[in-house]
Amino acid sequence: MQFKDYYEVLGVPRDTTAEDIKKSFRKLARKYHPDVSKEKDAEARMKDVNEAYAVLSDPEKRAAYDQLGKGHHPGEEFRPPPDWDAGFEFSGSGYSPGEAAGFSDFFEQIFGRAGMGRGGFGQTSSSHGNFRAQGEDHHAKVVLDVEDAFTGATRQISLRAPKVDAQGRVTLESRTLNVKIPKGIKEGQVIRLADQGAPGLGGGPAGDLLLEVHFKPHPHLRVEGRDLYLTLPVVPWEAALGAVVSVNLPGGTVKVRIPEGAQSGRQLRVRGKGIPGQPPGDLLLTIEVMLPPADTPKARAFYEQMAKEFAFDPRQGG
Amino acid sequence: MRDEDILIGSLMEDTWLTLEQVAAACGVEPGWLIRHLEEGLLFPHAQNMAGVWRFSGVALVRARRMRQLERDFDAVPELAALVADMLEEMDAMRARLRCLGG
Repeated sequence: MQFKDYYEVLGVPRDTTAEDIKKSFRKLARKYHPDVSKEKDAEARMKDVNEAYAVLSDPEKRAAYDQLGKGHHPGEEFRPPPDWDAGFEFSGSGYSPGEAAGFSDFFEQIFGRAGMGRGGFGQTSSSHGNFRAQGEDHHAKVVLDVEDAFTGATRQISLRAPKVDAQGRVTLESRTLNVKIPKGIKEGQVIRLADQGAPGLGGGPAGDLLLEVHFKPHPHLRVEGRDLYLTLPVVPWEAALGAVVSVNLPGGTVKVRIPEGAQSGRQLRVRGKGIPGQPPGDLLLTIEVMLPPADTPKARAFYEQMAKEFAFDPRQGG
Repeated sequence: MRDEDILIGSLMEDTWLTLEQVAAACGVEPGWLIRHLEEGLLFPHAQNMAGVWRFSGVALVRARRMRQLERDFDAVPELAALVADMLEEMDAMRARLRCLGG
């Protein structure tokens, strides 16, 4: 395990004030905010920044970290001495279990037993006589392909979850689940896996695992609820004369009638051909007229003839 | 439990998440959610049915974003809600843009 210099991550000197730590954290939180940051490794950097702040903003953890870090340098091989944390008491970090699970092994090794934040971690009061409680529900995010919503799928999902061992110590455990993704699933929908959450205490039932579904961005398709948005390229004669064209969708091919005189930007709604379900979504096609290139003498002659034959100026009267 | 097992979950309808479930998923106290609901800041992802709050899945993302903004920047709830509104709108526009550009 490598030593992590949390002061370096936040860009502050070791003897800095709590106020400066907060200030520096906010600057970095703005810079690496995953929704707006232009930095390519924003998400990973934000994780580091959050982890560093979870330690340095908490006087107890900061004191313990300073004690531990004397004489260590970043990247150096590091092993905490046994019982180094005796005499320190950690209360939650203000970070949710899900966020804390993304923290490094270094963090887990040092604060894993007690510093993972509120909610379940470390609250193992199972030694109290007949105390019995249902385990907590766990939550995780899964990212699927839009195609999965059409066909249904079985996806392997890797999760890190806290686990209490026989000695009552909390460690992070990786596990892999094979989960059936039902056909017709929507963005934001939640799949509940019974009894896959935290184990119950004192023989109580286990909690559930709730999987929150998100779709990977797709280069051509856009999903809103169960409606599917797609740009449909057509050639000028299909648009002008009307035609029946095939559209490839994740669930198979559908035939769509292009109305006579269709223009670029016009939207066609094909009922019931979106993501399957009760009721199924619609397919919404935005027509885009594509011109064949004038790259042969024959093609050029065609365009020139069109120019002569058509008295058409789209800029007139606009 | 064996890893090879294929788990079949039940699909929760959009309005199925309870206050406690959302609170646990976002690492907030139920009281935090209730305060924000009463101020109308989690609208329109939550609805009160006969005195019981129910949440759509999208509420998870929103509540998490608002909580992070409040925690990281000491933002007042109204400001966090405003930023969350803008991020949601940005998400929708980015999805549209991706399709147009793709």
